[in-house]
Amino acid sequence: MLLLSKFKISGHSMEPLFLHGDKILTTNIFYLFKSPQINDIVVFKDITNVFVKRITKIINDKYFVSGDNQNDSLDSKDFGAISKSQILGKFIYKL
Amino acid sequence: MTLLSIVIDKIFKETKACAHCDIPCGIYDPHNAQMAAHTVLRMTNLLLDIQRENETKAKHDIARMTHVKEEHGHLVEDELGTLENDYFKPEHFKTYSNLGELIEKAVKLSILVRQNIDIESSKELLETILQISEIFYKTKNVTPIRVKSVYPTEGEIVTYK
Repeated sequence: MLLLSKFKISGHSMEPLFLHGDKILTTNIFYLFKSPQINDIVVFKDITNVFVKRITKIINDKYFVSGDNQNDSLDSKDFGAISKSQILGKFIYKL
Repeated sequence: MTLLSIVIDKIFKETKACAHCDIPCGIYDPHNAQMAAHTVLRMTNLLLDIQRENETKAKHDIARMTHVKEEHGHLVEDELGTLENDYFKPEHFKTYSNLGELIEKAVKLSILVRQNIDIESSKELLETILQISEIFYKTKNVTPIRVKSVYPTEGEIVTYK
């Protein structure tokens, strides 16, 4: 697993922070030493896709995530809470 | 883009991260992409036919047509992105082995037609979108058919029976 990874945003659910086509850099370094926190923007994988969302709630090591653009986002209501093992990295830089 | 961003962009391999409008509504349709591709073709035709008797008006018309062409080129890309990311599943790409290639080709063409006044690429874009639309309807277990559009482009659209 790379310490730094680059992702290209596809979709609008993280607007206005990320627009469709934006590129971001993430790192998994922080999560080697501490757990993800509320408000962290994380890239994570589910069975079929890689998603980018913000952590909004943490209950019993389950991370509830949501897009910033509430009118236009899939969130934990739709695919359930995620676990730390699904998180690929934390957003650190927008190109 | 800053120098740091350019360096990072060059160094790191890119992966797609989905941030979609994905309440899984199940409502997908390639029609919008087809209309957008027709619009690109129409704008390209109009740009090639522009009259230069009144230079101010010509410049004004060129600006407007280019704007619409740009907008609809983007729309093609967006609509394809929705189909690719939200609708088409791995089994679709497996069954229709050229699907990924067609989408990639259409995205490249949608950029090319924005960069240039290129009638051949515009026609190719439309044709590629039609082929993707045919695959879309096949995945819905209906028979796709091509009919002549009623648009000034006189090109075809794909629907189903």
